[in-house]
Amino acid sequence: MVGTVSRDAATAEFFDGTARGELLLRRCPEGHLSTPYAEACETCAAADLTAVPAAGGGTVVSHAVSHKRDGTTLPLVIVELDEGPWWWSCLVGAEPGQVTTGARVRLTFERPEGSEAVPVFRPADA
Amino acid sequence: MADTVTPRTMPAGRTPAIVGLGMTEMGKVYDRTAGRFAADAVRLAVADAGLRLSDVDGLLTSAGVGGGVGLGLARDLGLKDLSVLSEMQSYGSTAGQMVQYASLAVASGTAETIACVFADAPLRQGTSTGAAYGSRGAVGWRGVLGASGIADTTSMYALAARRHMDTYGTTQDQLGHIAVGQRAWAGMNPRAQFRDPLTLEQYHASRWITEPFHLLDCCLVSNGGIAVVVTSAERAASLARPPVHVHGWGQAHPGRSLLRHEDFGLVSGAARSGPAALAMAGLSVSDVDVVELYDCYTFTVLITLEDYGFCPKGEGGRFVADGTLGPDGKLKVNTGGGQLSSYYMWGMTPLSEAVLQARGEAGERQVAEHDVVLVSGNGGVLDHHSTLVLSPHAPGRA
Repeated sequence: MVGTVSRDAATAEFFDGTARGELLLRRCPEGHLSTPYAEACETCAAADLTAVPAAGGGTVVSHAVSHKRDGTTLPLVIVELDEGPWWWSCLVGAEPGQVTTGARVRLTFERPEGSEAVPVFRPADA
Repeated sequence: MADTVTPRTMPAGRTPAIVGLGMTEMGKVYDRTAGRFAADAVRLAVADAGLRLSDVDGLLTSAGVGGGVGLGLARDLGLKDLSVLSEMQSYGSTAGQMVQYASLAVASGTAETIACVFADAPLRQGTSTGAAYGSRGAVGWRGVLGASGIADTTSMYALAARRHMDTYGTTQDQLGHIAVGQRAWAGMNPRAQFRDPLTLEQYHASRWITEPFHLLDCCLVSNGGIAVVVTSAERAASLARPPVHVHGWGQAHPGRSLLRHEDFGLVSGAARSGPAALAMAGLSVSDVDVVELYDCYTFTVLITLEDYGFCPKGEGGRFVADGTLGPDGKLKVNTGGGQLSSYYMWGMTPLSEAVLQARGEAGERQVAEHDVVLVSGNGGVLDHHSTLVLSPHAPGRA
């Protein structure tokens, strides 16, 4: 399913967040919210950003199904979080084709052995 | 087809032209490094132009995923006292951009004869093509994307394509028409890696990579190298090959990679780059005779045709399925088979076919009307775009 990932200096705060079950967005002094990896505010270019956890709700913007050589499949989604920023990840607890564009999803976390916790989505009604 | 060709911004006397094209053996060629492919391609391009390496005073290099092509190439070729030398990187739009920077150098007098080269050798004997372009280390931001299952560009482009399909009703069948049409062209290209005819049924039956992309929606992977030589039209007149004049160019880098809420998968940088290049050439899309588009995936062709204005936004699917593509189609698109069927040399794939068509040297697949040839490059996930407008005719002449 989900693969493993390790942190570097740029992602240390982010993975401290995922360990707590939080997807950390970045908020500027004006209150605009940007994606976790934003170095500058995606709305006003302000550089002074602080971390704020996403509430966890989102809507599917696009979807795809990855097919592995071993015959397994993995549904992929782009989700627009309710706060605005997008997050690209996979979908757990759903069959391919079950969740399509416009569907409501919830943020959750996978914790593979020997890896940082990875943010993923599940159907909102599951 | 154009009545007059009047560049708007080119300095008189030093308009740029492509005068040499060098293509190594390409595909599953395992006996050379990327650096050696690059050196071979430059030597071939310089010889093709009727020049000697000592005539070259500028070198621009572009490496693929395997690396190994860079500043050291000047040493490998014994080039000295260069006036222009740089490694360039905007992924698939780099080839078109190298020709633009070479053209600027020629127009300004910074250098006179510039070789632009791409080479890559990601394929290794006994490993899969997928492995050649696979995940590159699960660390940091890139790593979290990969761990989430989005480990390759195919997944990212698949998500882009699905958004287009959901928004405009673009269908799988329509994507298939692009693969089928280009394969028909490839059948007439001796350099093409895939030349057997392809049917829509075979397209639909090919295995999924990432839905909505079948295997046959994806470009192939090749080892090899291609170079072009750019010089002034003045100098071109006394050289060995028919010059291919560079009439216009453009680039567009929309930014906000993976974040463009408004238009991700719907509009690419081509929408700005294409019209800019045509305006510089004093032409419009209806003047274009031959279209050589960057086609890392079938979908890239579709969105570029829309963005360039060959059809209205959102109608690309119907446009490509309506007898537009292939040798008998209304528009001559990717006449060598493109990256889907011929060879994958990033932006050098469309550029090399454009040079052959503009020269009238494309053999069995030569398009009769080839006065204006439009070339695209695309890099990242629709993040970088370059456009060239080429013609066998010098600026100012019909």
